[in-house]
Amino acid sequence: MSGSRSPHLELRQVERFYHAGRPEEVRALRGIDLDIPPGEFVSVEGPSGCGKTTLLNVVGLLDSPTAGEVRWDGRPVGQRTDRERARMRLQGVGFIFQRFYLLPTLTARENVELPMRALSVPRAERSRRAAELLDEVGLSSRADAFPHQLSGGEEQRVAVARALANRPGILLADEPTGELDSANAEAALDLIERVRRDRDATLILVTHNPDVARRARRHLAMRDGRISADQREA
Amino acid sequence: MKRSRRGAALRHVRLQQVLAIAAIATAVALPVVLLSVGGGVSAHELSNLQNAGYQIVLSAAGDHGILAAHNLTHRLLALASVAAVSPVLSVSLDAYGNSSTPTPVLAEGVIPGEFLATLGPAEAGLFPSPLPLGDPSDSIHFENGSYTGPAIDDVLVSSPFAQANRVAAGASLVLSPAANRSLGVRFNVTGTFGVPPTALGPTGAFAVLVPLSDLQVLSGLATGSHGVTDAADSVEVAVSGSVTTNPTALESIRNEIQSLYPFYGVTSLEQEAQQLQSASSVLTGFYLALSSVGLAVGLLFLALVQVRRVESDRRSIGIRRALGLPATWIAGGLMADGLVVAGAGALAGVVGGYLLVEGLAKWSSAAVQEAARLAVFVPVTLSLLVLAVLALSVLASVAAVRAALRVEITEALR
Ligand SMILES: Nc1ncnc2c1ncn2[C@@H]1O[C@H](COP(=O)(O)OP(=O)(O)O)[C@@H](O)[C@H]1O
Ligand SMILES: [Mg+2]
Repeated sequence: MSGSRSPHLELRQVERFYHAGRPEEVRALRGIDLDIPPGEFVSVEGPSGCGKTTLLNVVGLLDSPTAGEVRWDGRPVGQRTDRERARMRLQGVGFIFQRFYLLPTLTARENVELPMRALSVPRAERSRRAAELLDEVGLSSRADAFPHQLSGGEEQRVAVARALANRPGILLADEPTGELDSANAEAALDLIERVRRDRDATLILVTHNPDVARRARRHLAMRDGRISADQREA
Repeated sequence: MKRSRRGAALRHVRLQQVLAIAAIATAVALPVVLLSVGGGVSAHELSNLQNAGYQIVLSAAGDHGILAAHNLTHRLLALASVAAVSPVLSVSLDAYGNSSTPTPVLAEGVIPGEFLATLGPAEAGLFPSPLPLGDPSDSIHFENGSYTGPAIDDVLVSSPFAQANRVAAGASLVLSPAANRSLGVRFNVTGTFGVPPTALGPTGAFAVLVPLSDLQVLSGLATGSHGVTDAADSVEVAVSGSVTTNPTALESIRNEIQSLYPFYGVTSLEQEAQQLQSASSVLTGFYLALSSVGLAVGLLFLALVQVRRVESDRRSIGIRRALGLPATWIAGGLMADGLVVAGAGALAGVVGGYLLVEGLAKWSSAAVQEAARLAVFVPVTLSLLVLAVLALSVLASVAAVRAALRVEITEALR
């Protein structure tokens, strides 16, 4: 299995309001138009609360827009059932969260194997690939450790390995270095950048650190639920 | 910091599960005990009834209320399908063996030949056969109701009595009405009989068996102011061969006897067995109702624990859903956890109930021990109980599963 290739991502007039129509309504995304071709490395910057996480969630099918349309390779994903969207996430999207979100009751290896188990990858293949991935992120020796036995930097490396398990075409990283010290942050970013390049995956990296953003080829800036700047490097 | 918090959370979940297992085990142990002991006792009583050896019994209200017992016996013996008819008179007497202080005994006056024929197989084995009493049909002394024939005055004594008073076959024994030694008559001890183990029924350990007419004369129940009394307390009627197992035929004989003696109670043991069975099925229903209350509480507790787990696992559930794991996995995992807890609880309950009954049979008051020893554990019933608990645990997990599937991924990950 070669993994899914990256889809062309399109957002058309996407709005996401929390508690829509109620007094406490929050307009997290207000009319986003965006095209991200396969394999692009995009950074998203902006102040806290401007809608960056909401944007990632909508692109990665964790959340649905209140209005507008999200398309993968030209096909609207809005009409898909929860089950289909879960399947698309499982096969096509690798999430890397600021707080890692490893499952505390599973070892590093089991965390990495989990998405493969859900795709019924045979046991032998699964453990071979998990070993490979843990090796790639430099954690072969910590495979049987539980998350609480790992340092923050190590946890994030396991999370990266897990995100790569089913060879997704899209990597979504939401402030992946937010909880790491600068040395670990540097290492984690190097790792994410490298795996993206090796796999030619689309990477959307949310950060509010300009130094981190600089690694991308395209830079989005957000403000109050809108894209306020969109620059591509030559 | 982080380490200890997570450890505590895990221990907390485990503690809840252990408590849920204990709750279900308690709930299951209750029906195990009630059904096994209740079922055992009524099965025992039923088998006592069914192995009685006689099928119909005549009784009258009041002391020694059946009159003209010998005459009645002959009339009943003349009926078709009647194999044996045994009138029984029970009177407390004083017995003087080797000492001058009396020992109270329960004297049973019987017609020797008829008595053995109406005993069930278990009881019959306790007596020598034929009974070594000199007048098998009790007609010599009775002499057609005039009691003028020669009394033979033979007596059989129970082996506990024989042991306690050091009397044996060949010895003699004076029997007199209670506190009235001057009316005593000397009897020849011709043998002993065994006493059945006391199983939920009073049995006189100190009992003697004498011919009916001898006992009637001794206790003033032979003749009365209106002439011949010939009293007995009950008359047991054994029917012949095929009728024993034919409820309809048995009922028609009972009706026939009832019409001959409309003033006595005439019951068939078949009727009594049916009454016993219906009473015991009412009890079983009651036990089940009681138990289902316990089970409902146990399962509600399980449901609560499951829902609480979902609450404390919101983050993990959100992560799994975010990764794209199928919802059926999450539901299945919860159901499986519920089944494990319920299964462990049910098995612990069955084992606990069994041990409880065993314990009661060893270390409790005599009556409870007696009942506990009769307990029967029916594998089918126990398996059904466990299966029911497992099935209900699925229901108990439904609320938790719904809650888990309603977890908003983005909310859970905030
Ligand atoms: N589940 C939610 N319910 C209500 N408001 C939310 C929810 N998620 C996010 N928001 C609000 O939406 C806005 C955008 O949030 P978010 O996308 O998380 O911003 P960012 O990631 O840029 O910090 C914020 O005002 C936030 O408080
Ligand atoms: Mg955010």
